Amino acid sequence: MANEKKHGLSSAIIMGLGGAIGFEIFALLNYAYFDLAGPSMISALFFCGIINLITMLSYSELSAALPEVGGEYTYTKVAFGGFISFMAGSLRWLASVFGGALAAIVFVNQLGVLFSVFAPSIQDLVLANASVLIVGLVVILIFLAIRGVEEATTLIVAAFLAIFFIFLAMSIGYTLTPQNIVPEASPDSLAVFFATAAYLFPMFVGMRALVAGAPQIKNPGKNVPRALIISTVLLTVVYFAVAYVAVGAVPLETGVTGDGLPLLNRAASTIMGPIGAILFAVAGIIASVSSVGTAMTVQSSILGGMSRDGYLPKALEKAHRRFKTRYIAIIASSLFVIFFGTSGAVVFLGYAASFGSLLVFALVNLSLIQLRRKMPRLDRPFKAPFYPFTPIAGIIMSLLLLAFPVILRDVNAESALFSSLGLVGIVLVTYYLRMVRREVDFHRLRVAVGGISVGTGLALVVLTPYIVPPSLFIIMILVGLVSIVAGVLNIVASRE
Amino acid sequence: MMENRRILSAMFGIAQGAIGVLSAVLAVLLFLNILEVQTVFNVPPELLPLGLLILGLFSVFSVISGFFLIREGRR
Repeated sequence: MANEKKHGLSSAIIMGLGGAIGFEIFALLNYAYFDLAGPSMISALFFCGIINLITMLSYSELSAALPEVGGEYTYTKVAFGGFISFMAGSLRWLASVFGGALAAIVFVNQLGVLFSVFAPSIQDLVLANASVLIVGLVVILIFLAIRGVEEATTLIVAAFLAIFFIFLAMSIGYTLTPQNIVPEASPDSLAVFFATAAYLFPMFVGMRALVAGAPQIKNPGKNVPRALIISTVLLTVVYFAVAYVAVGAVPLETGVTGDGLPLLNRAASTIMGPIGAILFAVAGIIASVSSVGTAMTVQSSILGGMSRDGYLPKALEKAHRRFKTRYIAIIASSLFVIFFGTSGAVVFLGYAASFGSLLVFALVNLSLIQLRRKMPRLDRPFKAPFYPFTPIAGIIMSLLLLAFPVILRDVNAESALFSSLGLVGIVLVTYYLRMVRREVDFHRLRVAVGGISVGTGLALVVLTPYIVPPSLFIIMILVGLVSIVAGVLNIVASRE
Repeated sequence: MMENRRILSAMFGIAQGAIGVLSAVLAVLLFLNILEVQTVFNVPPELLPLGLLILGLFSVFSVISGFFLIREGRR
């Protein structure tokens, strides 16, 4: 094992940046700027950096004390045991599925942007066949993931930083329109500000890749916390500068909307000309392909780990005879990526990925508090400063970010939250069936399904007059009544 | 009494199972937008994933619930 720990501090920083710098900047800035907060989106980015830094302090303490493979899953498992770790693993998997699907959509969009420079007719063809391209991309990446193809993370990070640096350097010679980046001190404006921060949060969460890679880093107790803090500060500065220039180059006063070119591509095209448009489109394509591939590997690793611990069917742990990769887990996860990716719902996926990650962040902070109480003598090479305020602040901020988009009644956020809760519901049922009752008790299951049926039926009967058009009224009432009666019959069924 | 209950279970089981299958078919039609169903039902794109999830869950639970009742009716 000792010879596997080969990365020093600089490699660890690149690992952190490599996890975080990616396609998200192409996908998320658009909606945040044009539809949510306008220029104050930049302050929201800064706020995200602060939240990320606070939680990274908790990650640092946990990864230094428990440098085993598994990250969040391992921390929650040691702190709370089975159920919470199962939740953390599932949420992490879900966030990765949503992120992978979003990356697949960005791939098609950036491909469209690239062709818009050379051949607008091909751009139309690309956008019209987005679903086919997404399926094709995922299928190719399935083969590559099964074959265990390694990514050139260092190269991608270096290329990205170089492109951003050129972009920033060329903006010096360009007159940027000054913008007010501080949100107004009104309740509405603050609600929008927090909702924007929630939406932009996935731009930072990839940094935890460093925690997952902790076992391969020299002296992890010292280097992982340092690398996490340095890469968070670096990333916040880079994002802040790039967003500031982009907003200054594409002011809202000019009447542009987010319907055409994405913000970053438009800014690059304005400042650097056609070269900028091409450069950023190529960067977006590489970043999104790399992110879909990483997401598939991460998902298979999470499913494999949970399967190894008995939470999921053993088949998901099965390795390919030749390539030694978990091919069933890769294929299973990829189907979800295709499903959500072909929906094309960028904003929904942005929120959904963010919500999953924020819940995992809250669980990691809770694990830190629990471990300090449960295992006070655990060797901790790094301790999060200002305990218990740091993890408590991390939990409160995560929950605030979860709540604000819904308070704002952003339909995409509501849709993402309810979908996530629905999937968490499926996760809970799976846990119950697999762990609480190893042998499925059909009577219990029947009563549970009956209860769900009655609940759904009642909801249908009550809500139908408000949400269903008159033409479907009778049908929906009938469906509701059938569900209620069938549910009652299942509930009152005898154990025989 | 037991005989009536068995018949009732079978009837509602078949009805609920059919509702579940139809919901699944509707989910597929919506997902692939066959016959322009998304336009017919006026589903905004941002609500499509949520709608599909709700339909999918409703479909699964209806089929399972219907299956239990049909099994009881056939005993």
